Amino acid sequence: MTPAFARDGEAQQRPLPRVADEHPTKPAHARRRVSATPRVIFGLALIGVALGAHVARADSCTGISSEGGRFAACFDPGNRLTLSVGTLGYGGGVSLRHTIDFEDEPDLVWKMDHAIVQFQHGLVDGEVDGLLYRGRFLRHSRDGHIVLPIGANLRKVFLPFDIGALVEVGRLHLVRDERSELSVVETALLVDLARTRDFRTRVALGPVASWDVAFDHAAKVVVADQRVAPFSALLVELHLEDRGGLTLLDVRGVAGTAWHTDGGWVPRVRAEAMLERVVFAVNDRPVALYGSALYDSDSGEAVAGIGLRAVLVEHHDPRVSLHPPVVASRVPAGAARD
Amino acid sequence: MMSADQPVICARDTQDHVWRLQCNEHTKKCLYAPNEELDAEGKRSSKSLEQARDCVTDQPFDSKKLEAAGYQMIQARADAPYGWTRDERGRVFQTNFDLKRRVYFGAAYSPLKVLEDPLESKRTSIDFGLLVLDIYHPGAEATRHRIRLFEGGVHMQPFSSEIVVAHYDVSHHFLDPLLRISTFIGEPARHDLHLNLGLWSEVGGLELHKTSMGNSQLWRHGTAEITFDLWQSAKLDSYARLRTGLGLEGQNDDVNGYRSAVTGASAFELDMVLDESGFNNLRFEVSHEIPRYFTTVDGGSHWSQRLKADLQLESIILAINDQPVSLKLAVGGEKRDDLPGVPDQWAFVVDAGLRFSLWAPPRPR
Repeated sequence: MTPAFARDGEAQQRPLPRVADEHPTKPAHARRRVSATPRVIFGLALIGVALGAHVARADSCTGISSEGGRFAACFDPGNRLTLSVGTLGYGGGVSLRHTIDFEDEPDLVWKMDHAIVQFQHGLVDGEVDGLLYRGRFLRHSRDGHIVLPIGANLRKVFLPFDIGALVEVGRLHLVRDERSELSVVETALLVDLARTRDFRTRVALGPVASWDVAFDHAAKVVVADQRVAPFSALLVELHLEDRGGLTLLDVRGVAGTAWHTDGGWVPRVRAEAMLERVVFAVNDRPVALYGSALYDSDSGEAVAGIGLRAVLVEHHDPRVSLHPPVVASRVPAGAARD
Repeated sequence: MMSADQPVICARDTQDHVWRLQCNEHTKKCLYAPNEELDAEGKRSSKSLEQARDCVTDQPFDSKKLEAAGYQMIQARADAPYGWTRDERGRVFQTNFDLKRRVYFGAAYSPLKVLEDPLESKRTSIDFGLLVLDIYHPGAEATRHRIRLFEGGVHMQPFSSEIVVAHYDVSHHFLDPLLRISTFIGEPARHDLHLNLGLWSEVGGLELHKTSMGNSQLWRHGTAEITFDLWQSAKLDSYARLRTGLGLEGQNDDVNGYRSAVTGASAFELDMVLDESGFNNLRFEVSHEIPRYFTTVDGGSHWSQRLKADLQLESIILAINDQPVSLKLAVGGEKRDDLPGVPDQWAFVVDAGLRFSLWAPPRPR
């Protein structure tokens, strides 16, 4: 049924949700016009109140000592260079995370999470664990959906999760003079049930494909075994982080079967967990107490340890304001010339 | 459906609902659609349309006047950006995918193996590409750069794997011919020979095999080749080309030990995007490699050869959150005499599998 439209002129008396764009080829955000009405002024006042509220929240990330000195009370655990020392040895690595936003798609964001050159060296046993790169790319959209090409038309079925992928390249576990294991590549299709726009919560699972090579170091370094999991394993990840970035929990488990060049199909379970809590900060660089645990059915090892993790370089949390706002003082006319 | 290229105006009806309208003065038709998504019952929801352009509101709209002028009002779907469409409820989704810009991984299975016992499959493989990125510069002298990072695959039983850490090649469309041949027998005439030259290179290739005579590793340190594009599509995303060049490699196996070689390599490649929406992609490659080893084993030959042919069709079958899932069908054959334990005869394999791709934005217009 054809809608009954208002007559010429009537339609313009009430504001419409979208504002004119005379050039349709330009992006939607190209031009917006706002008329100064009491409603707009009221809106501006609301924005002012909201900004005030925002500042108040930012203040909770900035501590003030009894002497009036300011210090960071919130941190960004996703963007940092760390050095850790614990019962399992010393190590470090770089973590980066950022989002990719789209001006013409405000409901869509790609959450990109990178771990670059992570390592740990055991002081007692000399074991080395390293990782060249791990990327986690999650696509968060307001609506999850699946498009099915059924019949002449494409059909859209809605899904309650975000999707993404995990890509891991070059993970090494080296036991000196004995053996080493190189995980050349590991990829997983991730389904994130948490569906958050930020990085603080992730409940993801998905099938894993991986290829690992085991080397024997007994006489000379030779390939001892190749292990391939063609999406025959399931990955489950849980990541929780408090609003201030002071506490974070990571739990990760992989269970399934993998094919070995020596031995055929063998079930495998690998689980790891890490809990970290910032306990103090030096020059606003956080130092955290952490505990970690790992179980791998292939080696039959279960190890756990605790330690301290210091952040050497960190992305400055924008909620922290270490410098008090400058209040402009009235300067007598002509004083500046003196 | 409303055109993404024509202006859209918004008007409010007597029930205070906002409608999107697009009128065509030539066809005397006005398309109209709700400015909000509809719920399952077809009623307006509180959600505004995703990826909808701002609509013009400073133009008057009088439907009675238009109908009196002979315009026909037709209910339609709201406009969507290029590469996207809307369902009957106004919800937007992607319908055009560029598989030459993506991150992908997949698994493939031999049909024979699946029939035997899918849980004890012997011809399973996985493949992956950390980054597939084509950068296209349009114009009369168009250029397409192709970058591939950490791309490869692993086959099981018999085990083999192939990885390339970094690949770069470039195609260019030359406006001026490489050679102008003028003939003066009879009427003077000019014959242009267009030769679209390009570059093809790979660094950090690794090939692993496990045979009855042990393990073999082939390290392809670097390869550089010149390409001759025999045919190019307008956007250079489809092409047929010849390439030839040299590479440096090292091969280590349990029989011959480590040997270095300079390898002459040539190939014919056909890469085609079969439809405008990028749903079907065909790739065919025949390659020939002749390694010339610096040392010989037991007075054997300095030379080996490898022949390889692959035909692959990849078709998108569905998309999850606008990320395509594609079906890959592949036929391949290989004949080589450089691997101890592998007979010097053609071996063929047929694969069918699924690939999941991330990113894959709409193809360039």
